Amino acid sequence: MKPIAHLRNRLSNFPEVVALISFLLVFLFFAIKAENFLSLVSLTNILSIASIKGIFVIGVAILMISGEFDLSVGSTLAVAAYIFALTIENGMSVLLALLLALIVSALLGLINGLIVTKARIPSFIATLGTMMAYRGIARALGGGDFARFTGEKPYLFKILNGEINFINQLGTPAGSARMTIIWFVIIVIIASIVMTRTRYGSWVYATGGNREAALAQGVRTNRVIITNFVLTAVLAGLAGLVQFASRPSVDPLRGEGWELIAVASCVIGGIWLKGGYGTIIGAAIGIILLQMVEQGLILIGVDVQLFQATIGLILILAVISNNYLSRQ
Amino acid sequence: MIGGETVMSQEIGQPVVEMKNIVKRFGTVEALRGVDFTVEKGKVHALIGDNGAGKSTLIKVLTGVHTPSSGEIYFEGKKVTISSPADARALGIETCYQDLALIPLMSIWRNFFLGREIYTNLGPVKWLHRQEMQRLCCDALSDIGIEIRSARDKVGKMSGGERQSIAIGRAIYFGAKLLILDEPTSALSVAETRKVLNYIENAKAQGLPVILITHNVSHIYLVSDYYTIIRQGCKVGTYQKGELTQEDIADLITGTREA
Repeated sequence: MKPIAHLRNRLSNFPEVVALISFLLVFLFFAIKAENFLSLVSLTNILSIASIKGIFVIGVAILMISGEFDLSVGSTLAVAAYIFALTIENGMSVLLALLLALIVSALLGLINGLIVTKARIPSFIATLGTMMAYRGIARALGGGDFARFTGEKPYLFKILNGEINFINQLGTPAGSARMTIIWFVIIVIIASIVMTRTRYGSWVYATGGNREAALAQGVRTNRVIITNFVLTAVLAGLAGLVQFASRPSVDPLRGEGWELIAVASCVIGGIWLKGGYGTIIGAAIGIILLQMVEQGLILIGVDVQLFQATIGLILILAVISNNYLSRQ
Repeated sequence: MIGGETVMSQEIGQPVVEMKNIVKRFGTVEALRGVDFTVEKGKVHALIGDNGAGKSTLIKVLTGVHTPSSGEIYFEGKKVTISSPADARALGIETCYQDLALIPLMSIWRNFFLGREIYTNLGPVKWLHRQEMQRLCCDALSDIGIEIRSARDKVGKMSGGERQSIAIGRAIYFGAKLLILDEPTSALSVAETRKVLNYIENAKAQGLPVILITHNVSHIYLVSDYYTIIRQGCKVGTYQKGELTQEDIADLITGTREA
């Protein structure tokens, strides 16, 4: 059994290995089973949608590595989208509206961080509360109704989430690759570098890995946690704006359920719920995997209702495999 | 060479820390009832007592976790107020708790330099010097006789004794003036215990005073220069090596024998 133990030992240095293997298996399955799965339109569609959610997931991933999590991100996304929609519809400059929406998102994240660190309430409870509160704010902003932007799409929308024509024209039917893929890739690269090459990244892992020890070594754990809540909220807000840029309307339920999709992506990607372990790449693979499952099931004509059941199954299998590999 | 200052031979025996008449009350409970405790440079001083005797409270006063109700603390001859763990650390007091010292999921070098990373400022970004820290960490550990395979290994994969060694090596490297080890040998095998005691000897040879907190005297009997015994919040006494047998100490801990 020694070679197996050795392999396990080596693989535990790569928390994303289970996600990567699952990804390849699922990809192969649909490539064989689902007609048109390998078409340009299908693959670019998966990537474009996964990238919007992915921007959202990266924040949740960093926060989870520091040992906290945030149920309010879906509501934050909706607040940001409403603020963006209402201010530009009322004639505010798009860039200002974008900044305003992101600043408000940051404030919502700051409130989460302060509740968790100063009032010492577990993040599950604290953000369950703010999830409802922020959803209320989003509903109030929109008067319980849709908000739309009806004018000519400004150029910023194209930068945020325009179609990438030179890719889309590579096949027929044309693909649906959007700018959000580029943003997602950039955010994944920056986040990965920050987490592995900078002092902040080290402190995030330390905060999630053993908070008392980190504190004893002089890590400002509360500052790390508050920063991560703000970062998570800003990325959630950004995801809301990017989504709005491709289809300029927002409804009161926008982003609902995304917080759990994000947690699922992170956990499938090998991040521990209690923190300290996992990678950004893992979480990114996790969300693309989930989006691929959704699209694949539609293509092979399985009832969409089964999507959630499948996700649940993948989640549990991934966690069992991750535990097997990382148990020390 | 190891960072930190070398203690001149004539300084050995000078007190590094003096705690005078320390009283600590929690509500109506008097956990410490006027305890004096002095640690000298270059010596290993065992602080011994049963569970709940007050030895941990005394150390928490010294490390800024608890503020004393009354009493004075002198560090290197100067009166000090230690009101937080950061204060204690700024003075050069390093504490290694068995489970609280390291982060198992992180690599050795990240643990070693945690909170004291070497980095370059790139605007707001603190870019880590990874190679340099890995090399320095290996060198510093090998200087005190600890050989590791790779600084990139995770601490969680190491044995309890090896973990203690990393914490001790870190304290020496960063020039600690006083090292406190909480139950350093509990939960260790005999071989591991021997290794850790070796590291403690090495720390002492570097001139670093060490406080060992324990309720199990057999492990630390040989390595200690002094024993201070605490019982029910009071100091029973401080004894030099050789004054007492292990049985004497055990009797004093439990109160079967009065000092």
